[in-house]
Amino acid sequence: MYLSKRIRPIFFLLFPFTLIIMFVIYPIVATVYYSFYDKNTGSLNFNNYMDVISSTNPLYMLVSRTLTRTPPWGALVHNLVWVLVHVPLTIFLGLILAFLLKYYVKGSTLVKTIIFLGMVVPPVVGGLIIRFMFDEVVGIFPAIFSFIGIEALSKTWTNYPQTALFALILGSLWIWLGFSVTVFSAALESIPKSHIDAARVFGASMRHIFLKVIVPQLKPAIMIVTVMTVLWDMKIFDIVYASTGGGPGGSTSVLALVMYSYFARALDYYKSATVAVILTLIITPFIILTIRWLKD
Amino acid sequence: MRGEKRLLAAIVAVIAIIAIVAAILLLYYKPPAPAPTVKLRVIGPWAGKEAEYFMTVLEEYKKINPNVEFEYIIMRAEDLAKVLPLNFEAKTTPADVIITPWGWFIAEMAAKGHVVELTGYINKDDYVAGILDPVTVDGKIYAGPFTMWLKPGFWYRKSFFEKYGLSEPKTWDEFKALLDKIKGISGIKNPIVTGDGVGWPVGDVAEHFIITFAGPQAQLDLIEGKVKFTDPQIRSVFENYLVPLIKNRYFSEPIEWTTAIELWWKGEYGLYFMGTWIAGMVEDANDIAFFPLPGCKGVVGGTDYVFIPKYTPNKDIALEFVKWLITEGQVVHASTPAGKIPTWVKAAPEKLWAPMQDVFRKVKELGLSILPDLDDAIGGDWQILFWDQMKLLWVEPDRLDEILNTLTTQHPKIKGG
Repeated sequence: MYLSKRIRPIFFLLFPFTLIIMFVIYPIVATVYYSFYDKNTGSLNFNNYMDVISSTNPLYMLVSRTLTRTPPWGALVHNLVWVLVHVPLTIFLGLILAFLLKYYVKGSTLVKTIIFLGMVVPPVVGGLIIRFMFDEVVGIFPAIFSFIGIEALSKTWTNYPQTALFALILGSLWIWLGFSVTVFSAALESIPKSHIDAARVFGASMRHIFLKVIVPQLKPAIMIVTVMTVLWDMKIFDIVYASTGGGPGGSTSVLALVMYSYFARALDYYKSATVAVILTLIITPFIILTIRWLKD
Repeated sequence: MRGEKRLLAAIVAVIAIIAIVAAILLLYYKPPAPAPTVKLRVIGPWAGKEAEYFMTVLEEYKKINPNVEFEYIIMRAEDLAKVLPLNFEAKTTPADVIITPWGWFIAEMAAKGHVVELTGYINKDDYVAGILDPVTVDGKIYAGPFTMWLKPGFWYRKSFFEKYGLSEPKTWDEFKALLDKIKGISGIKNPIVTGDGVGWPVGDVAEHFIITFAGPQAQLDLIEGKVKFTDPQIRSVFENYLVPLIKNRYFSEPIEWTTAIELWWKGEYGLYFMGTWIAGMVEDANDIAFFPLPGCKGVVGGTDYVFIPKYTPNKDIALEFVKWLITEGQVVHASTPAGKIPTWVKAAPEKLWAPMQDVFRKVKELGLSILPDLDDAIGGDWQILFWDQMKLLWVEPDRLDEILNTLTTQHPKIKGG
């Protein structure tokens, strides 16, 4: 069958476009529509947004109205804390580990495989492992702190609002570190050996080589890891759901968990859509940043 | 001679006729086909030993209905409540028969038309009074009650009490003295171990304190929203009784509740507040006994409800099974070490598992009235919030007012006016 040059691309694009409309465009439009839909009056307004933002239920609260030194601070703030703590640690430890494994450790492939295990573990299982890691009876962290005599940290971390959020963040570091180490290891391979040799010839120490030669050349990889980690942190769900369920006292709740709770627990699909839109609006700048960077 | 020949001919003729009739019958008669085997998928909340006891019930049913096979799927009530609404909205069901302790959830699903009505199959008078109320919507019954558990008080090992010369307390002061004695025993971490999971064990302890010190009616009024958590009557229960015990480390920090059983059994803790099912989870049920807080006049009791989703393809077989399960099936279950008693009043008490007969006798002797579970009765989001806030209280007792205020403002009957 002959198709003219003008028709041919349309013919081939028809099927994928139909799928995209059905499974991407329509759900997005519907979610935005539902976020404004008032189920009580049947009209479109901002009531869902007002209710979601002003909720004082600790398990649904986006931002706490009272400023306290320890969580709960609200799901949105917890996500931001996650980003502020988890991203720098992931970058820093990922860089150091990748560097050490390349230049100082023999048989580093085995070590990399072990580090990468965290990425292979399903997040829900990861959440349960984290819960046990910080458990007073069987956990490694409380055992270590008990051994060195720090009483305040030798209890079950996930039971206490002061430590629960940080237990999850530290635990997720183990899960996500495999990604950053892999990316940085691959990027390190692309740095010509002659650059390192030249620096050595000029008498640079390994610390200087790392900071002045390697890190600048890893900027693209650092960018990728940063953006991906931020996105991962903003939509974190499984780990929190499986380990603490957002508690105690809402001190570990995050946006995605609030969205899920509205959807599957309260069966309020409209407020769930509202949280989804808020979450998307927060993530969008990072996505735009990534796309621009990839274009460059 | 001729007569003999005739007789012989007649016999041959009769035999020939019988043979022909038999041949025709063999040719055309088809014996009834055996009933086809049907597999019923049953979702229940029990795992481990509890699941084993329930499997005994299923096996018993298979003996009288060999054409029915079962696939038992474990799903906790809190997980079920998240998964099922989505299935039902899509007009599907993950099982033919579902068992959950959350009556409010079944009522919610029934109101949306997702549950098979059982009104015609259940005689209300055959069951413990009021047990069907949570699953009755507009006068129609949507689930049958299975066996019942009680949350009667603090469990202890008789051998532990004997070894250290301890006895059940009769007054609050004696209770505190008992805790001090246990605290002083070498190897004891805390006098009372606190169970954890998603938070219900700590909620149960709080309810027991409310029933004891504010009275059984306060429990009912809290459910109805007639009394608030911030009311002086309730606040004083927490402030004067529960919080001091938490602050003075009489309770352990929350430990996963099945692990807590093991640690309590090993002697790291002296007491454990838990439901009667604990009797079926310990090595020797004859070595355990319980006491409620001195002066307590009520005990929280609840049941697991059995319901049939509207979207099951095996509705009739499921109905037959449920009818058996909520009557004779209860007798089988209560005779196992599941730690349950029947809600079916026609069940013979002597068939109850022996340790449960003792529990039941003691509850009667103490004159404890059976009350609905506070968070099960209120249900919904508030239930999760209650558990979460109680867990918070256990580790941050100084935040009592904030916690009570949260529970009050989020109570569906107070929040909704």
